[in-house]
Amino acid sequence: MKLTIFKSMTALAAASLLISACGGAAPTAAPAATKAPEATKASEATKAPEATAATAKSAFKIGMILVGPYNDKGWNQANYEALDYVKAKLPGFTYDYVDKVNSADRPNTKGTQVADDLIAKGANMIIFDSDDFKDDALETAKKHPDIPVIHTSGDYSWKEGKNFKDQKNLINIMGQMEFTKMMAGCAAALGSQTGKIGFVGPLINEETRRLASSAFLGAKYCWTNILKKDAKALQFKVTWIGFWFNIPGVTLDPTKVADDFFNGGYDVVMSGIDTPEAATEAKKMVEAGKKVFYVHYDYKQGCDLAPDACLGSPYFNWGPAYLDAVKKAQAGTLTQSFTWNAPDWKNINDPDTSAVGFLPGKGLGDKSAQVDTLIKGLADGSINLYKGPLNYQDGSVFLKDGEKATEQQVWYLSQLMEGMEGASSAK
Amino acid sequence: MNIQLTHIYKRFGAVQANDDVSLDVEAGTIHGLLGENGAGKSTLVKMLSGFITRDSGEILLDGKSISVKTPADGIRSGVGMLHQDPLDFPPMSVLDNFINGRPGRLFIDRRSAVKEFKAIAEQFNFVIDTEEQVGLLTMGERQQLEIVRLLSLGVRTLILDEPTTGISASQKTALFAALKKLAKQGKSIIFVSHKLEDVEELCNNVTVMRAGKVVGSSAIPCATSKLVGMMFGRELATPVKPATSRTDTAIKIEGLTIGDDRMDVRVNDLSIKRGEVIGLAGLEGSGQRLFLLTCAGVLRPFAGKLMVNADGRLAEMTGKSYHQFQKAGVGYLPADRLREGLIWGLTIQEHVVLRTPSDGLFVNREASHSVAETAIKTFNIRGKTDTRVGQLSGGNQQRTQLALLPTPLNLVLMEHPTRGLDIESTIWVWQQLIMRCQGGTSIIFASSDLDEIVQYSDRVIVFSGGKVSEPIATAVLTASKLGEMIGGKFIGASAS
Amino acid sequence: MKENPTLHTKSPVSQLNRGLIYQGGALMLSLLFVAVIILLTGESPLHVVSALVDGAFGTPDQFARVFATLTPLVLCASGLIYTFTAGLYNLGVEGQIVIGAIASTLAIRVLQGQLPPPLVIAVSILAGTLGGVLWGLLAGALKVYGNISEIFAGLGLNFVAQGLAIYLIFGPWKRPGIASMSGTEPFDDAFALGRFGQTDAAPVALAIAVIVLVATIVIMRNTHFGLRLKAVGQNPRAAFILGMPSTRLLLSSFLVCGAFAGMAGSLQVVGLFHRLIPSISSNLGFLALLVVMLISFNAVWIAPVAFFFSALNVGSLQLPMALRMESSLSGVIQGMLVLFALLARGFSERNRKTRS
Repeated sequence: MKLTIFKSMTALAAASLLISACGGAAPTAAPAATKAPEATKASEATKAPEATAATAKSAFKIGMILVGPYNDKGWNQANYEALDYVKAKLPGFTYDYVDKVNSADRPNTKGTQVADDLIAKGANMIIFDSDDFKDDALETAKKHPDIPVIHTSGDYSWKEGKNFKDQKNLINIMGQMEFTKMMAGCAAALGSQTGKIGFVGPLINEETRRLASSAFLGAKYCWTNILKKDAKALQFKVTWIGFWFNIPGVTLDPTKVADDFFNGGYDVVMSGIDTPEAATEAKKMVEAGKKVFYVHYDYKQGCDLAPDACLGSPYFNWGPAYLDAVKKAQAGTLTQSFTWNAPDWKNINDPDTSAVGFLPGKGLGDKSAQVDTLIKGLADGSINLYKGPLNYQDGSVFLKDGEKATEQQVWYLSQLMEGMEGASSAK
Repeated sequence: MNIQLTHIYKRFGAVQANDDVSLDVEAGTIHGLLGENGAGKSTLVKMLSGFITRDSGEILLDGKSISVKTPADGIRSGVGMLHQDPLDFPPMSVLDNFINGRPGRLFIDRRSAVKEFKAIAEQFNFVIDTEEQVGLLTMGERQQLEIVRLLSLGVRTLILDEPTTGISASQKTALFAALKKLAKQGKSIIFVSHKLEDVEELCNNVTVMRAGKVVGSSAIPCATSKLVGMMFGRELATPVKPATSRTDTAIKIEGLTIGDDRMDVRVNDLSIKRGEVIGLAGLEGSGQRLFLLTCAGVLRPFAGKLMVNADGRLAEMTGKSYHQFQKAGVGYLPADRLREGLIWGLTIQEHVVLRTPSDGLFVNREASHSVAETAIKTFNIRGKTDTRVGQLSGGNQQRTQLALLPTPLNLVLMEHPTRGLDIESTIWVWQQLIMRCQGGTSIIFASSDLDEIVQYSDRVIVFSGGKVSEPIATAVLTASKLGEMIGGKFIGASAS
Repeated sequence: MKENPTLHTKSPVSQLNRGLIYQGGALMLSLLFVAVIILLTGESPLHVVSALVDGAFGTPDQFARVFATLTPLVLCASGLIYTFTAGLYNLGVEGQIVIGAIASTLAIRVLQGQLPPPLVIAVSILAGTLGGVLWGLLAGALKVYGNISEIFAGLGLNFVAQGLAIYLIFGPWKRPGIASMSGTEPFDDAFALGRFGQTDAAPVALAIAVIVLVATIVIMRNTHFGLRLKAVGQNPRAAFILGMPSTRLLLSSFLVCGAFAGMAGSLQVVGLFHRLIPSISSNLGFLALLVVMLISFNAVWIAPVAFFFSALNVGSLQLPMALRMESSLSGVIQGMLVLFALLARGFSERNRKTRS
């Protein structure tokens, strides 16, 4: 059959076709081009009053580049919603965003290119929302030295960090999720009957190691100190899928990973990824009559997905940090800096002050009071989970007895903790 | 079922394939339809079974005029045809083939289908496994399957087109027994063949066709010479090719066995002199093409040796590649010009370039242009250098093919070298070829035109259903002898 | 059997006109279809067109990006001309790009610090080309000797190549401490091809593409090799009978296509991404297949059609930005164009047959 197709192509491969194919294309492109300005004028015209009004009230525009979908009920949505928070606080503030900027969803598109286009469309500041954009953020900052470039979760601007790159307009912002992950881990331990906790991890890097480890330390603390159970009876297993969300054929399927946990006797699955597979699977299991729970990650309303099965959701609250950055940028004082914002210990769920928060879920019931003891201890400093003696996963010493971890030691955590199952580094 | 075909006409383009043909077949008889290639036999029966439509004339079944426009119409009227190449679906199972083409019910009742199949097959002692894949059956078994299928569809007239080619002797016996049984049951059978023996053994009556017309009919038995006379009823043309004077051998064959999935062909020792022309006669598909392809190096023989005289020395060529045959001065001109010989979308000049050994990377346009111009002039091709060969007429395509043959050549192999050419072109083509022969080139060609074979060959080899005769010098050849041999009777056809 | 000469001598001119009408019709139809789809999503086709034009040519950066996309597209389309001409659907072109990129990355990893950077870049491009050749020949060998359709062989090898790239990125070549979709650690700027200003267009890469394209046009028009490929592609049996070395020709076409695709992969590494990323091919191999299907065999049309497709591809980023539309619409437009062009060709061909 191929032959006949080919013959038919051959038969009329006469230049005629090609001439017409392309000759046709050109003229249609031309009128389009001539009409383009008209069209833009039209659309600008409608937007014009807004724009001028904005200029009057010190207009400012953020261009945000999201690695995943803006409505992923996780990391990206939290970043995206922070823009609306800023907008509500600042008159004249506007934003543009492009989501799903990753090589699977948008092949042939680099983060830098999106940033270039956003700046061309008038962005005064760029936010890259993923660790994966570190190269793009640096390149963009170099290319547009007058535009502040915020890279969340990166460390290139940390003078005391390992990877400092001296780029004046590159800013790193991060929240101290470690604390809220500890709370989440605690909730997981309190909710577990079997003592088996599964953790659906994204890819393996310093950030994800410290988050998974924090969750483990929180779980261990509550398992032994609150429930007074044997540490050995607690299993904490991390399965890394390979990326922040499912990319068919490239990553492991988080749905399947969560399922495997639940079917393998793990009655609590903690999510460490951007998307809500753990929640949806837990919901299915509960509907099927199983007594299982999930702990969400990264999204304040995470427990709404399946309230009865939810033990809690630690989340980022980017709004205050971004608002602060915009204000500084408008004042011209936003320069190279690395901020790792702590929760507001007075109220970790205060939307205007706390960089990270934790909302207990319905599934936790009255045990949330026990989580509160941990929160209180963390707040007043009486509990420090990154305090020796603490060993790495391979048994080597991380912190000697009584030694407290430095910020760098936590940020650049090189291994998981002793007692955790799962890979510490990519093979 | 009584069948009457009256005043049937059918024209394909310029060819009157059926010219006022009438045929009567009585129920309960086996009727032979004899004739050489292109006599119009197949055309006639295909119109009866609905595979092609007639231009005019009438078809009466049991006295009732019917119109058959499709094979399905044919089956509905009770006429089924068994083709030379069975129209089945090789990758499917016997049962699926059997079920296919039956009047559509939504659901298939396999069990009753198996029962029905077995009932009919047993009647005729056909042994076929219903689960076997059709592609793995022998030609004879596929025929049997097709007969069973047609009978299950209620066919009362069965047409068989050259059914004894490619089947074994025992299968032939079984087939004939089955056909006779069917005739006894009152069914009418039309048996299309060129094999005198088969017709004489099987049929009650025979009708002979020639050049689209019925030339006679007879009850069987009748004298073989009478049938041959009707089939080839004419004087043979006079040879025009000057006799070969050379004595050196151009190609030598030692006990060659060749074949494909339909037949095996054995060619005895044969030696062809330089400048000699060998004509291959016989019905198409009797093994001539296999022989030519083997001599060209395209097919490899199962056994035997093949030697070609290259540079004055006989070189063993068995098992060598086609390209080595080409290097040894062997040229092959296929019959299907646009499928095998030429490339539809390329121009005459581009063909010239393809044929020229390339010296250097770039095509020398001026040189190839002038070569193409010369070829067009010399070979009288009605086209320009930049004409695509697909746009040339058949005759001009053949001239192009000839023009593309390299010079010098030791051996030229041709299938139907003048098919589709007008008289002048034919004569002109042979003038060119004879000139080559005088330069020492030998030619082996197959043709369905007996006149062409007699006129231009030094010796003739007859192929019939895989059997190969000894070569006979044209000088001693008679029409009746040739006719008998084509009909499969090799008695008395000893080497000359 | 005499033939009616009028049937055959009937004018190439009328055929040409008919082809034009069909192709023109196909273009109009496909545009109409796309317009309907846009209307169904609640947008105005005019806005879409203006966004696309704006996205492709609005800024020097974008314009440069069109050329950066054009480079691999032209290279792959040029390569595909050879296999298409030889009658082969080389769907393995994607994998050939990926292997080219891998080989190129390997060369830089091994040689950086050992040779002067410009030399490293040159060797790296050469290595990429060889990698593509290897992968192309593998598909060819499976086709010629293994009797596996080049379509399936190619698709299979694509998976293998992609798998290898991901394995390397997440395994042996991962960044220190991290395995990430963002790819391997970027190479030092010294190992990047120079660019126009700060844009993404690398003049050397573009020059290579232009040279390859011109060479392809010349080879297809003026060389024995080109003509023989045409012969084998149009009628392998007749080409064989006429004495063409079919096997060698088929393999050569795979070789050349692999070389150009490998080169494209290499340039993606040294010219654009400066590292190996999982989707290093950016699906441009498949896009090149569309280009070549649209233009059939004629290399002359690669440049304009590839340019049009590149502009569409780059411009489509504006769809989510300006109109909150899916940028995959550009893929729909391209697919429609090709589909309708092939349909038109089919109809035109069927008509030709029924007339004669």
